[in-house]
Amino acid sequence: MKVIKSRGPEIFDIELEKDLLAKNRYLAKENKKRFDRSNILAIDIMGSIGSGKTSMIKAILKKLGMSKKIAVIAGDLTTTIDAERIEREGARVIQVNTGRECHLDANLIHQAIKRMNLDGVKVLFIENVGNLICPGEFPLGAHKRLVVTSVTEGPYMIVKHPYIFREADVIVLNKIDLAKAMKVNLSQLEKDAKKINPHAPFIKTNALSGIGISKIINTLGLKT
Amino acid sequence: MHEFSISSEIANSVLDAAGKNKGKKVLSIQLEIGELTHLNGEQVAFWVHELFKGSVAEGAEVKIKTTKVRIHCKTCGYRGGMKSNQEDFFRHLMPLTCPRCNGIQIRAVKGRECILRRIQVIK
Repeated sequence: MKVIKSRGPEIFDIELEKDLLAKNRYLAKENKKRFDRSNILAIDIMGSIGSGKTSMIKAILKKLGMSKKIAVIAGDLTTTIDAERIEREGARVIQVNTGRECHLDANLIHQAIKRMNLDGVKVLFIENVGNLICPGEFPLGAHKRLVVTSVTEGPYMIVKHPYIFREADVIVLNKIDLAKAMKVNLSQLEKDAKKINPHAPFIKTNALSGIGISKIINTLGLKT
Repeated sequence: MHEFSISSEIANSVLDAAGKNKGKKVLSIQLEIGELTHLNGEQVAFWVHELFKGSVAEGAEVKIKTTKVRIHCKTCGYRGGMKSNQEDFFRHLMPLTCPRCNGIQIRAVKGRECILRRIQVIK
């Protein structure tokens, strides 16, 4: 803090130069360093409310059958429902409740990984708060960011939330088995995703039956 | 989106600095918000005004400047802004390619910040 000049007898300019978003970026880098030191692949799972983030993680755990090497941080405003669902698959899991905040941030992850036993963990899934807006602006230090959206959210979900889809490394469209009932055109949703982010692989899934889960596993390089 | 939490941090920083400098009244604060953030300046100003109520900063002017995106391209070394003719739909999104060489190894050097530059106080 620097007080620079006096204008008139009593008026002062105080230079603060404080970037309020920089702290999150700094802590995200620290988190990434921590993951790299232990050779942990960290994946931030973002997506809409009820799009199937937890179901997708469960399906991946089931398919990989290496649950002891996988840890999960489950983020929500309240409850431990998701943590319990994942724990049943045998993975190490910690619940982070944000209380009021609509997204996880790098500091919450920083605190969570301090309290977790990460010995022997190869993959860490960080399940963000269900929200297609805020999490996009708060990197957590994960190596990859995956966004899940689903057919039941209607035909405009991708085009209405370009920011988060632009930030994604992988885009997953879940509940494709319901496309006909929802009168949703899957290829239009894929076109919307490709327009916003041509670099991100677009994977169609039905997490409950397991369709598309192997593709996610391969794309994220989880077979270790 | 998360204007309230950012605004709380801004208000706290302003009041903290005013207190440390024995300011009797805060006249104005100056913010810079990057184009790539999802912060709506009008909403930030609204919340900051609300949070200032009842403090030495009540009624302070909130000046907000929008900073344009600037990128650095690893492929050709380009440093600068983007073409101004891009579709409005893409205006708040990180550009995909370098405007000079179309390379994809680009990173934003400006546009992701929310900076509290300075405040003006009466001592």
